[in-house]
Amino acid sequence: MSFTRMMEGNEAAAWSAKLSRAEVIPAYPITPQTELISSLASMIADGKMKAEYIKVEGEHTAMAAAIGASVTGARVFTASSSQGILFMEEPFWMPPGMRLPIGMCIVNRSIAPLGTLRPDHMDSMLQRDTGWIQLYCEDSQEVLDTIIMGYRIGEDKRVYLPVATCYDGYFVSATATPTNVPDQSEVDDFLPPYKHEWYSLLPEDFRMHGRETNMAKARYEVQQAQETAKAVIEEVEKDWKKRFGRYYDGMIEEYQCKDADAVLMTMGSMTGTARDVVDEMRANGKKIGLIKLRCFRPFPREELRRIAKKYKAIGVADRNTSFGSAGGGIVATDLARALYDIDERPVIADFHVGLGGTDVTMNQIEYMAKQTLRAAKAGKFKKAVDWVEFHDLGPVM
Amino acid sequence: MSTDKRFDEYYDRVHLQGGTTCCPGCGGPLLWRMILDAVGSNTVVYGDGPCAMCAIRNIKLPNFSIHFSFAADGATGIVAGLRAKGREDITVVSSAGDGSIGDISLGKVSAAAERNENMIQICVDNEAYMNTGIQKSGLTPFGAWTTTTPRGKEAMKKDIPMIIAAHKPPYVATASVAYPNDLKAKLRKAKEIKGFKYIHTVIPCPTGWRFDPAKAIEVTKLGVDTWVWPLYEIEANILKVNSRSEQKPVREYLDAQGRFRGMSPEQIDFLQGETDTRRKNLLDANGKRLFL
Amino acid sequence: MSSIVRSFRPTVDQKKCVKCGLCQTYCPEGTVILTDEGILFDYRFCKGCGVCANECRVKAIEMVREEG
Repeated sequence: MSFTRMMEGNEAAAWSAKLSRAEVIPAYPITPQTELISSLASMIADGKMKAEYIKVEGEHTAMAAAIGASVTGARVFTASSSQGILFMEEPFWMPPGMRLPIGMCIVNRSIAPLGTLRPDHMDSMLQRDTGWIQLYCEDSQEVLDTIIMGYRIGEDKRVYLPVATCYDGYFVSATATPTNVPDQSEVDDFLPPYKHEWYSLLPEDFRMHGRETNMAKARYEVQQAQETAKAVIEEVEKDWKKRFGRYYDGMIEEYQCKDADAVLMTMGSMTGTARDVVDEMRANGKKIGLIKLRCFRPFPREELRRIAKKYKAIGVADRNTSFGSAGGGIVATDLARALYDIDERPVIADFHVGLGGTDVTMNQIEYMAKQTLRAAKAGKFKKAVDWVEFHDLGPVM
Repeated sequence: MSTDKRFDEYYDRVHLQGGTTCCPGCGGPLLWRMILDAVGSNTVVYGDGPCAMCAIRNIKLPNFSIHFSFAADGATGIVAGLRAKGREDITVVSSAGDGSIGDISLGKVSAAAERNENMIQICVDNEAYMNTGIQKSGLTPFGAWTTTTPRGKEAMKKDIPMIIAAHKPPYVATASVAYPNDLKAKLRKAKEIKGFKYIHTVIPCPTGWRFDPAKAIEVTKLGVDTWVWPLYEIEANILKVNSRSEQKPVREYLDAQGRFRGMSPEQIDFLQGETDTRRKNLLDANGKRLFL
Repeated sequence: MSSIVRSFRPTVDQKKCVKCGLCQTYCPEGTVILTDEGILFDYRFCKGCGVCANECRVKAIEMVREEG
């Protein structure tokens, strides 16, 4: 039976893992993911969900057990954050390299030092080179929908890549929003049982993906899978829309972008706040738009190149840093590279916001929007890299 | 039937292809032939890196390996995956070397023991990081030469079987390829027990221990017969000593290998004393519940 | 094939052999088997380590230098 109620992101994720019929769940707690895995533990203990729940002793083991279970032929779900993602770094590279479609949640939390429990996107973005697909969610509903879609995408034999559903700790993980939980049989219709054509450890059915000895070839194949995933993501999201009536516009969403010269680009929970600011500014006649970047890997290069000529300035809100990088945050750098060689391209600025989980306030977003509008007129931004928190824009928590 | 064909059938029957990339005289493939004979073909093998890999690659049963920092954890996933598929009938044999279990993956094996994972965990102990060129591990014995302990190891060998026994799993044992009937009986027993079973095996390494490969079994036997390598089982916390109580002088074992050549008479006396004490303690505790 | 790697190869005097099977039990590679035709060696994969000759109680197996 489908139902709707207020639900925090972590609980929505647990429901999603249940609906996805995850078979093996290696789980190690870390704030702000903890409620996700304890919800799953309760559901399983109460008999509401059938899965093998492994109470591992550390994140390195969590991912290793995930790999073992996936190779055996089981659908795997796990989750972690921040230091936990770092601790599973060694095995983290294996699912994409081995083409194992494990599903996980990265409940975004910043990375020490300084020690904090609050969110930014460092923990998931530092894994951007690994080959995992990364989708970023704005609220509980999107989390629930994305995890299920993630399995459809990753387990597609044209893709065979693991999928990380990323959402901000606290702002999404512990904030309740209205969430519709679809009916199990409808989800079953959408997501068939997991069967990998290249892997099984059952003696009567033993399959092991061949050991490619040429590194370039092995790497290239993962890259090709990322490229192929773009079309599959669009396909799967359209199917979800048809069945469940909810659509996230695929890899990117253009919001209020009609005849806008200037657009902001956001990811994750700050998008919700940005929508409100953009609505208000639009009501006051300011032609500012918003691009929500939902899919970070594969980076939607082609789609962004196609729409970029409509805009004169893009202000990228980067909730991350990459020290010593070519120019600011990670998303701005990727975007600049994507747009570098098109004929008509917008100017780009990088706004560092929300680092270490500080609130991205409406004032800050308004500031970014104003800078971007100004840049659209002037043909360049005042600053290529702007650490927004250092401006006096009112209280920030 | 041609000789080649006879052997091809033999390799199929023992589930191990002849001709590994292991060194001549390595106890690794020998150990696996014995293990697989005892546990049978309804088995999945999970292995880890270096020396063990050279033999595991030749196993003709479903197998999967990661690196040596992944002892027991991939196997944990496999056990859960098989349970999810309703296939608890399949035996999971997880193996790791001494570098893995003794050092980098000790926590992993401890955790698997604590969770009582339903697997047979084997330690393939050749007493150093051999495949990377003979570097010391936590299970390298006192006085042994390695490239990172060129004057002989100063610290004692970790007693992993007893560490695992302290987790109170259903079954812990030591075994040696020089005593195949004892080894196979232990594997067969472990197969029938549900929960975490740990079997610590020593395999001779002519390359790292420095002796003529032809003496591989001789040297391994001496290890057991001098009580440097006692054979025992701990089932439901009760100790049972399998080694004969007669003891050859430790010196015989040390003299048979080049890696102990640098030991001083005082060090040899010390080692004899330690071995004697351990032997006495094991024999005294024989048949009793350990102090755990 | 393996003669490139081997320095010595095992040979057996089938008349001396008492068919105890210890060579098969202890061969590290599994390249010695006791059959109804006596002891056979798989020279494709034998490494010439000499364990079989060393363990044979009646010295029926002898290691001889590999030709070439």
